[in-house]
Amino acid sequence: MQEATFLILTALAAGSQHGYGIITDVTGISHGRVRLRAGTLYTALDRLRAEELIEIDHEEIVDNRLRRYYRLTPAGAERLAAEATRLQANAHVAMSRLDVSEGVVTP
Amino acid sequence: MTDSPHLERRYRRLLACYPQAFRQEHEEEMLVVLMAGARDGQRPGLADSTDLIRSAIWLRLRPCAPRSARTVLWAVRLMILGAVLELVALVTVIGTQGEVKSAIVRQFPHFTVAQWHVAVNAHILPVEVGAPIAAAVWLWMAWANGRGRTWARVLMLALFALTSVSLLSAFAQHATTYAASDLAAGCVLWLVGFVTVLLIFNPHSDRHYGRRPGHPST
Repeated sequence: MQEATFLILTALAAGSQHGYGIITDVTGISHGRVRLRAGTLYTALDRLRAEELIEIDHEEIVDNRLRRYYRLTPAGAERLAAEATRLQANAHVAMSRLDVSEGVVTP
Repeated sequence: MTDSPHLERRYRRLLACYPQAFRQEHEEEMLVVLMAGARDGQRPGLADSTDLIRSAIWLRLRPCAPRSARTVLWAVRLMILGAVLELVALVTVIGTQGEVKSAIVRQFPHFTVAQWHVAVNAHILPVEVGAPIAAAVWLWMAWANGRGRTWARVLMLALFALTSVSLLSAFAQHATTYAASDLAAGCVLWLVGFVTVLLIFNPHSDRHYGRRPGHPST
């Protein structure tokens, strides 16, 4: 799973969000390292919807403009959990091999 | 957030690059996101513009098929595999040039150097030129079949027939000159083509063809 996809699903794991909300949340989750742009975001959202990992939660009209909220589907939550577990296991192995203790790396 | 009508018009112009079905689905909400993220200005930022154009090109060119048409989806995947295999076959032929050259010398010991060069080029050049073209055709077929173009299904059948004839001809005329790995690559490609044709002419694929080109997720 690509990092952008993982971060989008993570953003939606907290609850339904609209496009701009996802962008700001992803920036926060990644500590400013990943800044999604509209083209990338909606291409990913479109694909994730086709894969039935996310779905439309509801729509609002704010200032005469459409605001569409997306939410994670059960399949999406399952996929995100599996990916998070995989990443956590890899990170655990890496950290144990580097013998990281109290922020000091001893290769 | 800015409400500049000029900026909105410019963003809409960029969004016009997207496929129609995608625009119908997402244009308004994308515009909200773009306007919300825009600094007060009259022009879309370079990073946003590049991202929009790159995504639009990807959406237009990517091979895709609706998940409901699983047989076509698998056929599209096989067509992409076909393109990769064409390039692998090209590398194989280039890598086994020495064997082909030696085989020609063995088969035609009376050839002059000029004749030998002609014979070598006649065997290797068509593959070197043809394989990248064939790879492009496989990708084109993946694109068109994924979008349910009826002509693409027929064309894929015709191309498969051509591949079959070409493979038979390779076995009949050049089996002694092509390296075994070259012929094996040809057989694998034929097999991929065969399964692809079976999949796209499967009754489950029928309703996918001839429908209005639409959104892959619908």
